[in-house]
Amino acid sequence: MLLRSWWMVSVVFLLGLALAQGEVDPREEAKRQKQLLQHQAGGGATELIVEQGKELFNRKGPSGKTMAECDFGLGKGVLEGAAARLPRYFLDTNKVEDLDSRIVTCMTRVQGYRPDQVKRQEVVAIAFYIASFSTGKPIQVRLLFPQERELYALGEKLFYARSGARDIGCATCHVTYVGRRAGVLPYADVLGKDKSWTHWPAYRYSNDQIWTMQDRIRACYGNIGHPQPALYSLPILALELFMAYNNNGAVVEEWPAFVR
Amino acid sequence: MKAKKLIPILLAAPLVVALAQSYFGPSELEAIKTGGKTYADVFLNQRPDQALCSIHRNRLPGDLLPKFLEEQRALIKYPQSGKLMGDWKKGGAIFNNLQKANCFSCHFGSPVHLGGDVGPSLEKYGLKRGQSEAVQRYTYEVIYNSWAYFPCTVMYRFGAQGLLTPEEIADVVAYLLDPESDFNTKPAVGSK
Repeated sequence: MLLRSWWMVSVVFLLGLALAQGEVDPREEAKRQKQLLQHQAGGGATELIVEQGKELFNRKGPSGKTMAECDFGLGKGVLEGAAARLPRYFLDTNKVEDLDSRIVTCMTRVQGYRPDQVKRQEVVAIAFYIASFSTGKPIQVRLLFPQERELYALGEKLFYARSGARDIGCATCHVTYVGRRAGVLPYADVLGKDKSWTHWPAYRYSNDQIWTMQDRIRACYGNIGHPQPALYSLPILALELFMAYNNNGAVVEEWPAFVR
Repeated sequence: MKAKKLIPILLAAPLVVALAQSYFGPSELEAIKTGGKTYADVFLNQRPDQALCSIHRNRLPGDLLPKFLEEQRALIKYPQSGKLMGDWKKGGAIFNNLQKANCFSCHFGSPVHLGGDVGPSLEKYGLKRGQSEAVQRYTYEVIYNSWAYFPCTVMYRFGAQGLLTPEEIADVVAYLLDPESDFNTKPAVGSK
């Protein structure tokens, strides 16, 4: 643990140093250090969570059923490429669901857990496991149902909204100032070439956390002093659908990902 | 006297709200409420100027600009003392604090932190511009309400949104302008 935090300190220092010298592309530098970290950590953190997720997936719930009885969009128990097609509208719940919320639906409706028995860390681990079946798959999100179109429209509006005491808005940085830097890394082109939708779920080395896009969106708001939307809420789903749709066709490099 | 002054304002406020264009519709706000109260309140209380920037995606049409700029200018208040340059040391603490003004994250020029490049470089700001009344006023007003000069810009409206007091803003102005300030005497982190 101590060793790890020393690593962090030196990495942040190195990145800062590299940037101060202004000679290195910060993205390339981050990528290089990511490989360094992955090598140092043995690359095992992500695989460990996937294994945990697999166990939880095959665990029998109060109803005696495992999660293999659930439909993640491509049919009962079909995981291959399923995560790359989420969020989507589900007839059985009459809702648009992303990977996180579909896992909760599976645990409560099929496996028989009470909502208060659903632990967030378990949901994320299961998300890691299911997402691992979509590595190499292209994002394919549709706007077929009116519920999907409505939520997309809300996501687009939220993305361009200015709100709060700091007049915050996603697009104000992630469209207008793409490539510019406020802090260590340049603002990602989340709707365009950076394909940010494909970067989560991921193991985040810098704070030793496992996150899905839901957590990432909440952190985005939190980092800039804006109140955060609750997990599984419509504004999060709306922003996800908007981002996913705009990243359609992007091939998932690695799910779950490993980020600095 | 004070109460008398307040009455027309209180009467006018709902009218202004009713006339202003809102960005989110009622059904959208209902959906946003599932995000929790503190999150939803920010959108339920979205200010008309924020709504305007949202609707036009930060690029206001020319015909809206004169009124917008006038309204933003009207929000600017000055320190009681009338002095636009305060204590540069206090200003430095505000400028270089991530939780407070967080100026360095976007602007280059701080001798304490490596600056970003979202905003223009402020390196040796005071040495390049002098300390004339016009420069002091411009600097103060941009920090107090950036939208009075750059409509819908990303820069926080420190005074207009109550993030800093007029006195604190004057301290930051001093940090940028005072020739004795560390900002003008010490090299910026990352300068070549």
